[in-house]
Order: sequence, then C-alpha cells, then structure tokens
Amino acid sequence: MNQRQEPPHAMLDDVAVYALGVLPTADAAKVRDHIASCRRCAREYASLKATAAMVGVSAETARDAENAPSTLLKPRIMARVRASKPAAPVRTPAPASRMPAWPAYLVAAACVVIAIVSSMWNVALVGQLHQSQQEIARMSQRSDSLARALEDQRTTLSDLMGSDAKRYTANDGEVITRGNRAYIAMHDLPQPPRGKVYQAWTLPKGATKMVPSLTFVPDAHGVAIVSLPPDAHALAAVAVSVEPDGGSKQPTSKPVLLVTLT
Amino acid sequence: MTEDVDALMARVRRHDADAFETLYDAYHRIVYGVALRVLGDRAGAEDVTQTVFLKLWNAPNLFRGGNFAAWLARVTRNRALDVVRGRNVRAEAELPEALPENESMEDAAFARIDAERVRSALAALPPEQREPIELGFFGGVTHQEIARRFQTPLGTVKTRIRSGLRRLRTALDEAVTV
Repeated sequence: MNQRQEPPHAMLDDVAVYALGVLPTADAAKVRDHIASCRRCAREYASLKATAAMVGVSAETARDAENAPSTLLKPRIMARVRASKPAAPVRTPAPASRMPAWPAYLVAAACVVIAIVSSMWNVALVGQLHQSQQEIARMSQRSDSLARALEDQRTTLSDLMGSDAKRYTANDGEVITRGNRAYIAMHDLPQPPRGKVYQAWTLPKGATKMVPSLTFVPDAHGVAIVSLPPDAHALAAVAVSVEPDGGSKQPTSKPVLLVTLT
Repeated sequence: MTEDVDALMARVRRHDADAFETLYDAYHRIVYGVALRVLGDRAGAEDVTQTVFLKLWNAPNLFRGGNFAAWLARVTRNRALDVVRGRNVRAEAELPEALPENESMEDAAFARIDAERVRSALAALPPEQREPIELGFFGGVTHQEIARRFQTPLGTVKTRIRSGLRRLRTALDEAVTV
C-alpha cells in the first residue's frame, strides 16, 4: 500500500464511481479519457476496480439446497457443452448470450425424447437376442409406433424451441404457437385433486363460448405439455381449468391459465 | 479444487468438458449468487448462469488471467444487468470482461480470498459506505440514482463510494497477507 501522502485530486471520486460501474455514459467517457492520461487515476482505477469486482464474489450462495440453483441446471448446461464439443479448436464460436436457456418443460420434453430413443434401443437388442420371427414382427410394429411417437416429440420440441414460435405467457405457463400448431406448456402445476383433471379449452375466433379440448395431468415435476388440435390460426384464446375426471362440456371452475392469442 | 484455475482453463481451451465441469462445480454458486442478487428471481438467475457458463465454454480466451472468481462475477453482473436493462435506466459503465495484463495482475492479488472473507470485509464498512457500493454493484443504477434513493448529495455519495472501496481494498489486502 502506498503510504505517501498525495495531494487531493478532483477526479478521484469519479474514478471510484467509474470503477464500481455506476457512472452514466457521458461521464464515463470523460473519466475514461482522463484515466488514459493520468497515471495516478489509472493506478487508483486498477486498484478499485479489482476491489469492486470482489463485491460480486461476496454474493456466492451457500451450499445448502435452499439457496442452490435447480438440480436441472447443471445437466442442462453440461448437455449443451458436451453436445457442442468441437472436434478441433474453434476460433470464432457462436456467442453464448444469444442462446436461449431451456425452460424446465423443454428439459422434460427432451427427457421424454431420450427415453423413447432409449426404449427403441433396448427393444432392438431384445429382438436380436431372441431371433424370433414373431418377436421381430412384434418389435417391428412396436418400433413403428415408437418412431411415430419420436417424430411427434421431435416436432413438438422443434416447435417449442423454434425462434419463430410465438409465446404467450401467463401465470405458471405459456401458450406457444408455430404455424398451425399450438401448445400449452405449464410448470409448477400442482396435481389436481382426487377425481379431477386439468382440461384445456379453446375459443375459436368469432365465437363466444369455449370449446372443450384435451384433459391432462402434470408429471411428477409439475410439468405438462399439451399439443392442442390444429388449427392455431383459428384460435382467439386458450384456457385451462380443473374439471372432473373425463372432462366437462363447459368450464366448471375458474381458469388456472387464460391466454388471449393475437 | 486440486487443480488450479489456469490449468483447468487451459484444458477448457482444448474443449475438455470434464475440466469445464470441475470449474462449474467450483464457481457456479458465485455466478448464480451474483445473478440472483441483481435479478431477484431464481429462474432469471439460472438463465444468466447458463449464459455465463456457455460463454465461458465458447469463448474461454475472454479470461486472460487474474482473479477468475472476480472475473466471473464481473461477467455475470454485466449479463444480469443486460436482462434488467429493459426495465430500468442503468449506468453505462460495464465492468470490462477482457482485462489488460496490468489489471489482471492487480486483480490476481485477491484470487485466494473466499466469499466469506469478502462478506466480513463488506460488513465491517459503515452502512453509509457499504449500502451505496452494494446498490451500485448489484442494482446497476447510476450514482445519481443512488444519491436520490439515499437522499444524499451526489458529491457525498461519490466520496462515500470511494472511501468505502478504499477501506474494502485495505481489508482485502490484509486478508491476502494473513
């Protein structure tokens, strides 16, 4: 530390404020120019900026689960890292800041796809082991069915993540439309009471009454992704309410999600 | 962590995902913590955490040595303030992410100080110095806004920020030499 008494300098307070990163644009430019020509202020700036950055370090969260990020975060990041691992060093990688983070329901959807792929692989192995014509025929049928399911899941994932998809957010969910397809994606959705389910409702353009649509329940993580019957272009609104198991012809409870599409 | 940051970052530059995972385990609580303090919501903080770590993976050369934790905190603060930028008028002065060599050296002195020591040093500051510093760093507001919120003349706020940072600097210097 420098113990030598130095004369007061009018700019030093501004340098400190600049080091903390709280100086408005016009003032910041002036201080930057000054620092470039004043050794004392440059020294002060380097010292205080290193100090200011340590303020951020103080925000480190505790190790307990309450303060930790979601357990899904690390797998989500590592999946992206391992998937993007290039064969050779890349000089100009794509900027990460433009990549949207996966919401929890997309992770859930991805898990479903992975599970389906895994099932197909296991199924294929079993078929090879038994070498049975009947088994192969049965597995072939099953494989076709899984392939169709996989294709549906791929389409869903593609739609949900598509940059051209329209998103309408409300409460703990959102309605996503892409082309003529529409989806309800909800998270943190509690399980419905015994004997009840969630039911989707659509309001066609020009109509005054909601039309009953699919019933569903969320998964164990409170995530539900519902693919609505086409045509999304013809919809004015989408809603979700709690209804008796089997669904209702008209809503009997207040909607837990109500989104107007534009 | 048995392997130091420079060695791990060298491996990350060679696209070693295991080294990246080690860095994530060691530093994600700082990144998430800064983002949470700036944004105030967990989902937004997780998004920023993901953005910062993917940025680290895709552009590891942005880190040019020095205090890795402080650099990450700086990068995270900037990214988190980008998120709130649409909601508030904020200060322009982003903390630079790629530091000149001499500043990296200055930074490096504090690399071995953990969060608890920094919190203690901050807590030891008088409230009138600590509060503007924390509001400035995590709130991303201008010094005029800080002055308005504390109903304090602008010149006084500037002096308190400088005095607080200098006292913090002294405390951290002492922590390094202990």
